Parts: sequence; structure tokens; C-alpha cells
Amino acid sequence: MVEIEINGKKIEAAQGSMIIEVADQHDVRIPRFCYHKKLSVAANCRMCLVEVGDVRKPLPACATPITQGMKVFTRSKLALDAQRAVMEFLLINHPLDCPVCDQGGECELQDLAMGYGRDVSRFNLGKRAVSDHDVGPLIETEMTRCIHCTRCVRFGKEIAGLHELGVMNRGEHLEISTLVGRAITSELSGNMIDVCPVGALTSKPYRFSARAWELTQRPGIAAHDGVGSYIYAHTIHNEVKRIVPRECEALNETWVSDRDRFSYEGLYHKDRVLTPKIKRNGHWEEVNWSDALAFAAERLRAVSDTQGADALGALASPNSSCEEFYLFQKLMRGLGSAHIDHRLRQHDFSDENQFAAYPHSGVTLTELAKADVILLLGSIVRKEQPIVAHRIRMASLTGATVLVVNPLDDTFQFNVASKQIVPGGDLLLGIAKIAKALVAGSEKIKPSAAIAEFLKDITVDDTAQQQANYLKDAKQAVIFLGALALNHPQAAAIRGMADFIAQHTQTTLGLLCEGANSAGAYLMGAVPHRLPGGQNSTKQGESTQAMVLSEKINAMILLGLEAEYDLAYAHRAQKALKNMQTVIALTAYQTPHLLNYAEVILPITPSAEMAGTFVNMQGDTLAFSALTSPQGQSRPAWKILRVLANLLAIEGFDYQTLEDVQQEIAPHLTTAKPTQRWSFAAPQLELAERLRIAPVPIYAQDPLVRRATALQHTPDAAFGGVRINSAEAQALGLAQALEVLVRQQECEVRLPLVIDEHIPNGAVYLASGIPETRDLDGAYEAIYLEQVVDNHA
Amino acid sequence: MLKHLKHWLKSFSLWELLKGMSVTLRYFFAPKVTIQYPEQKTPKSPRFRGLHALRRYENGEERCIACKLCEAVCPALAITIDSEEREDGTRRTTRYDIDLFKCVYCGLCEEACPVDSIVLTRIDDFFMDKRGDQVITKQELLTLGDKYETQIASDRAEDAKYR
Ligand code: SF4
Ligand code: SF4
Ligand code: SF4
Ligand code: FES
Repeated sequence: MVEIEINGKKIEAAQGSMIIEVADQHDVRIPRFCYHKKLSVAANCRMCLVEVGDVRKPLPACATPITQGMKVFTRSKLALDAQRAVMEFLLINHPLDCPVCDQGGECELQDLAMGYGRDVSRFNLGKRAVSDHDVGPLIETEMTRCIHCTRCVRFGKEIAGLHELGVMNRGEHLEISTLVGRAITSELSGNMIDVCPVGALTSKPYRFSARAWELTQRPGIAAHDGVGSYIYAHTIHNEVKRIVPRECEALNETWVSDRDRFSYEGLYHKDRVLTPKIKRNGHWEEVNWSDALAFAAERLRAVSDTQGADALGALASPNSSCEEFYLFQKLMRGLGSAHIDHRLRQHDFSDENQFAAYPHSGVTLTELAKADVILLLGSIVRKEQPIVAHRIRMASLTGATVLVVNPLDDTFQFNVASKQIVPGGDLLLGIAKIAKALVAGSEKIKPSAAIAEFLKDITVDDTAQQQANYLKDAKQAVIFLGALALNHPQAAAIRGMADFIAQHTQTTLGLLCEGANSAGAYLMGAVPHRLPGGQNSTKQGESTQAMVLSEKINAMILLGLEAEYDLAYAHRAQKALKNMQTVIALTAYQTPHLLNYAEVILPITPSAEMAGTFVNMQGDTLAFSALTSPQGQSRPAWKILRVLANLLAIEGFDYQTLEDVQQEIAPHLTTAKPTQRWSFAAPQLELAERLRIAPVPIYAQDPLVRRATALQHTPDAAFGGVRINSAEAQALGLAQALEVLVRQQECEVRLPLVIDEHIPNGAVYLASGIPETRDLDGAYEAIYLEQVVDNHA
Repeated sequence: MLKHLKHWLKSFSLWELLKGMSVTLRYFFAPKVTIQYPEQKTPKSPRFRGLHALRRYENGEERCIACKLCEAVCPALAITIDSEEREDGTRRTTRYDIDLFKCVYCGLCEEACPVDSIVLTRIDDFFMDKRGDQVITKQELLTLGDKYETQIASDRAEDAKYR
């Protein structure tokens, strides 16, 4: 600790901090443009000049470390003159754009010009103008306004990990620009809008639609990934105009992913259903709420009376709130059915009884910084959980080694020390090789019989050996199972094998589940085998896939999901739903597909328009309130479920307010970190000879983001085609083909073929959750590619 | 005694009446100030603050750039603006309403406008015959601007030297 004096006030501060940090901590405001607490110090704007003790010239506060006894004056004549002069220089080339500038009213340059500038300009020569570049559908550029603070450049380099913006030329010709014609593609790119102190980088979807001073700011929680980023929504006339990050050091720091930032556009998509609808004699009609609910109750009764409660099934989106999950399962269990699930894209449920009370990420995001080895198993983490990816990157920058075992070779924004790309999607083989290397390398590790048996025929290669060595030497390692592992047909065996490794090294195993509230779903009992609070249920229900494929379910209630996009077997799911006696869809959006298989549509609000609770992947309970009121006649699902239960005469549904529900669920919302253990059993299912690897693209995760117009125009949302490597293409006789016939089960679709050497042998990359593949089937099943035979030829 | 005599004489000679008539006679010949409204009107200052108008540039382009400063400054909250990006990329209003009953004719919107778009004209005699008509829209405001542009411009020019 050293003692300094700022404006005559004595202050104790840590050695090595900069003057501006100390000043900020003690509410002494020093003007600045280029300094940002999460970015490196560039000291290029010179706005923060202050007078320091007996130094004769002013010093930049952001780049001057404090020393014992230092005397700083931020408002002395020398400091003020310097600040005023810098401001005058900055304004020489700055346009008088404020009235048309989207930053107007919240602009750091405007504010500081008011506080530190002159009232008239002495400069009367020509100002420079800089041409703009189109950098993509999310960020609007107006580079004449740029003051060259390089915050955006540093953000790209240091936080996003992609050097997409750079400084070109020098002096008067200096420009911030992307490489010629390139768009900004980072999944955190929207943060550049926030770090830019001026209106050079602004939000494209928000452009010109409101002014900062007329917006109301409401706190919320982002509902797309397991982090639950803190956000603010800026609203006007009951409409969300934009989303900005709300600082939360433990979760999203000062950032928010593009998916969380721009998904609000989906709230106003033309697909929103705003009135209840029922299908009578094959025709859809709009009805009022009481008729719709009565009809739904009657149809459910009809099925359960004739075929028993076991013919009723329920599927919920993992983005639903705890309150919704709770009432949903209470309704189903009240009707006597245990068929309820939220694990929509998973295939392997054989170890579900071994799960802890809820799936946990193993370590918290803050703890992740301490990890020295991080193994990503089946995860394209950048696209699945952008904020987690950012934290992994931060850990890797401070020395953590990142290892990857993936079924396809993707790029990461951090250094990967060792990458195992497993052929044929065989993740189990990849992780088993590491296990075998560990077993072979140590006498002490005694594998169970099942593991020993499985490892018998496995040969270790160099990469696996290297990865095993990293894990063995690690003091605090983490294995993250991503969506590709969790949705894998051999997920249970993968978990078992990963857990074996974790037990015999200093490793924590964590799951990166899809959706905003997977943990909440488990805790609320929205799984077929557990009651609220994680107790085992005496009545075991069917999992998602069994419900869809078994043909035993004859009435289905869907909560916030679209079968054609959100279920693993898109085609068979739609067919099964179509064949059911009734499908009651609680949904915010209607699509032609939904109209085809559903019988009742009850319009619900997305989480932005209701209050509720999420539990994120590290077990934090995140309560949120509505950002705007519901549109049209849509209602929060908990209200609908409550009335439906009343109509079905189920006990215990006399809630008046959401608080009543929250009181009831409070005991089940444990925040204690569960111990997660899985034992290994050899997988029952053989992998297909040629496996479809079907990750869900980042902007296809849930109904809301699929309708966010700007995000749908990013390169990430572009259809990647059917991807195989050139050797495979050769083997299939498709080397010259531009299009292929894709076959799965009984479905057949013609799609463009892309030769991509990042895909290993035995695997075909074809994304799911997108319109191009909604009529195909199993996401991790056999897939057949054939040449297109043109009838005309 | 003399006072009584004076009074008596004044009464009989109708002095008061003559005095009154002389006023009438004087005004009979004095220059007239009454005007025949609405055929005739009193002169107005170029600073007169009456009905609003939105102006255009000479090339016909509307001046307003939807900065919403007038909306923000209006003490009576009489202005309502919605904005968006027009096809050519410029910032424009999609709605510009002024409630003439809320407006207090203070002229602050005109002061705030960075492009001399919203102005208060000399028009002070306007009426509406339907409830709701007091809210005038962007189109009406632009039409007013087009109609009175010459007057608006010359008024502004005349006042310019005092600003
Ligand atoms: S960046 Fe700030 S100072 Fe520059 S035009 Fe925009 S609002 Fe005005
Ligand atoms: S674009 Fe904005 S953040 Fe980037 S250098 Fe210019 S002013 Fe700074
Ligand atoms: S009239 Fe003037 S002040 Fe009002 S929004 Fe238009 S440009 Fe801005
Ligand atoms: S903030 Fe210190 S030089 Fe820019």
C-alpha cells in the first residue's frame, strides 16, 4: 500500500495501480476516452491529463502508476488547461453530428465537451471525413466520428480474441477499419458498441429509432445460455429498443453476447401469436381465452379418460422459468402422468438416475480463472456459451492449458495446446484414449471392470498421451462436457469415462447444458424421473425421445418449443405429433408446421414479458421481472397452466400471484453445489458408420433468437451446407458434386455440399435447428449421402 | 353663493352635454384605428409566435432530422415524434404530432431546433371543429411550411441581426 494525495485528500491505494483507478475508486472523476477498466492501457487520447506534484508537465492519469507521497491535482489550472486543449484538438476533426447521431445524449465526447471544452470553436478550416465500411448486420459505422481511442481494437484483440478491427495509416490519415470488405464476426461484437465512447460504432437494429433520454432502463436476465447474463433493457412505449449489459463481475463482467443483446428483435416478429386459437374440423379459429382453455382441458380429459393418464406427455423448452417448470410438472403429475421432460435434444438417458440434483458446470466462472488445464469435450464453446468461452480465454491468457476433444475441427479464440478430432463422431473413443493413457501411466489407477474391459482394445496415440499428461500434472483441471457430448447417443458412457478421469486426476467435471434454465428444470422436477428438489420419483416417466418415438403418447402439451427445430428427431417428432389425438401448444410463435400438428394454440409470453426465476449452470438463482407488459392477449405460461389445472380440477392450484408460486418453490431452489458422479457402463448403442454431427448454430438455439432479424443475417446464421472432407467425398463419388441427396430414415432432402477438411472421416456435418434441415431426422444418427440424379438430363 | 350660481348656469346652458359632444366631434375627425377584421389585420412583429410549421430546404427536402430536441425541450409535452432510418440512410420522423391545446406557444422548440425546421408562424387565427383535430400531424405542418415559407423566411431574416 502506498499513500497518495488526490486534490488534497489522503488516499491509501495498492502499489502499482494507476492514478485513474485510484481516483475512480474514490469518486474523483477524471475525464477519459481511451481508458477502460477491462482493457489494456493505451494512453493515446490524452484526455486524462492531470497535474502531479512537482512534475512540470501534466501526466496521463491512466498510464501513471502511483508512488508514495504523490500529490495529484485533477482540477488545477495546469490540468484544466491541458484537458481543455486536448478537447479542442479532438473536436477539430469531429463532425457536428450530434442531432443525427445515435450516441447523442449518452456520448462521452458530448459530456466531456460540455464539462471541459470551450463553447465556440476557433477552428475554421476543413474537417476531415472518413468513408464507412459495412461491417455486418449488427454494427453501424460512422467513422468520421471516431476519435481513435482504439478501445474497439483493443476489445477485439484482448476480449473477443479476434483481431478484426485495426488501425490503418498514420496521423491525419489514421483510420479504424476491418480488413478490406470483411465483416465483424465475433459473437461478442456488440460490446464494441458499448466501449466506443462516441457514435462511431452504434447498433444497427436500433438505428435512429429512439433517443437515449426517452428510454426507460429495466434490469433483466438474458435467457439464452447457462450463464444468465445480467442485462438492462431500454424500453419505450412498452417496446424493448435495445439490450445492454448490466455489470456483474461474477457472471458476464461488463460484457454480453450478441445473442443476448440482439435477440429482443424476435419479440416483435410477425410470427408472434397474440390470440388463443383452436382447430375445429381442420380449421383454425381465433377464440377467447376461456373457450380455448376449456377446449384444451376437454381434449386432455378425453385422452386421459379413454386411454389413461399414461397417454399424456409434456415437453418444455429449457428456457422456461422455474415457476413454469414447477407448475407444468405439477399439472402433469396431478393428472397422473410422469411423462415430462425438457432435455429436448439429448439422446442417451441411461444414466439419468446418477445425475445430481441439477447439472452443474463443476466450477463457477470466477473459479475457472484458477484452473490450469481445461479440457473441452464435445463443445464448440464459442457458439454454445459465448461468455464461458470468454472466461476460458481469460484463463488461457493467464496460463491455463486448453485441450480439446471434438468430433469436428472448429476454431477457438484462444490457444489450444492439443486437439483431438475424433473420427466418426466417436467422442467416447477420444476420451477413452486419454483414460487408457492415464491407466497405462500409473500403477495406482485401478479401473473398474467395465472400464478395464472397454479400454482393452483401445490404443493410445500421441495426442491422447499428451492430453493425459497435461491432466495428470494439473493441479486444478476442469473437463467441460459441451452440447456435442451431452446430445451424443453415447452420452452416458462419455460422462462415465470423463468422470473416471476426473476421479483419478485433480479434475472437476462440469456440464455446459443448453438453455437458460436446465438446472432449474431439474430442480423443479421437469424430468421424468425426479420430483421437485431432486428427489427420485416413484413413478418413472418417459424421456423426450421415448415420448416422441414410442407411439404411446396420444396427447402432448408443448411449452415454448418448436418440434421441427428443438427436438432431436425433427421429422419423426413432427410425424408423431401429427398422429396424436391432441397437441396443445403453449407458444409465443406460430409456424405452418405448428399449425399442422397442433390442435390448440395458447399464446404465451417470452421471458422478456414476464417475471420469473432462472437457475444458471453454476447454481445461482436469478430472479427477473418483466421488461415490458405482454403483447396482445398473450399471457405468462404460469397463469395459463394454473387456469388449465383448475379446469382439470387438479388440487393445489389456487395461486393468486406469482409470489404464491415462488413461495412454494423456494425450498427446492438449492444453491448448494451438488457432487456429480457418474459410473461407466459400456454404451448399448453402436455408432452408425457415417454419423451426422448436428450442432445447433448459435443463432438457432431457441424460438426467440431464430426470429431476431439482424442476427439471422450474420455469417453465423448462414447455412453451412452438408460438410464432408475430400477423402470421404471421393469415397462416396461426390468429389465433383455441388449438391447431394441427404437421406435419413424415410426423409430425403437435397442440399448443397461443401468439402471441408475440418470434418474428420466417418462424419457428416449438417446443423440442426434450422429451416434447411427441419424435415430431416436424428441429429446424431446415420446419414446417407447420394449423388443427385437430375431427371432432366 | 357664487358656486350655486355657476352650477345653475351650467345646467341651463347644457355645458356638460356640449363637452361630451366635443369629444365625439373630435374623434369624428380624428384618424381611425379600428380595423375591419378579418378583412383587415393589425401588423405583427416578425417574432410573433403563432401556429407551428415545418420547413423544407429549397430543394424540397424536409429539414427535420428527427433529433427530438424540440420534443425534449417542450415544457408542455405537446410534441410527439417517432423516427426511423429512411431508405436513403438519413434519419427522419415517421410521426411528428403537435397538440395545439397543450402547446403554450413559448417558442422553445424553434430555439432548440438545430436545422431551423420547426418554427412558429404569424398565424394566430386558427380553429378546429372536431375533437382530435387539435393534434396536427407532420403532413399538415409541412403543408403549412410550404404555404408560408416566404413569410417565414423573411421574418427570420429580419430578426437575424438581433440573435
Ligand atoms: S459522437 Fe458524440 S459528439 Fe460526436 S456527433 Fe455523436 S453525439 Fe455528437
Ligand atoms: S471506433 Fe470508437 S472505439 Fe474504435 S477507435 Fe474509434 S472512437 Fe475508439
Ligand atoms: S423539428 Fe428540429 S428539433 Fe425537432 S426533431 Fe426536427 S430537427 Fe430536431
Ligand atoms: S484515458 Fe488516459 S490517455 Fe486516454
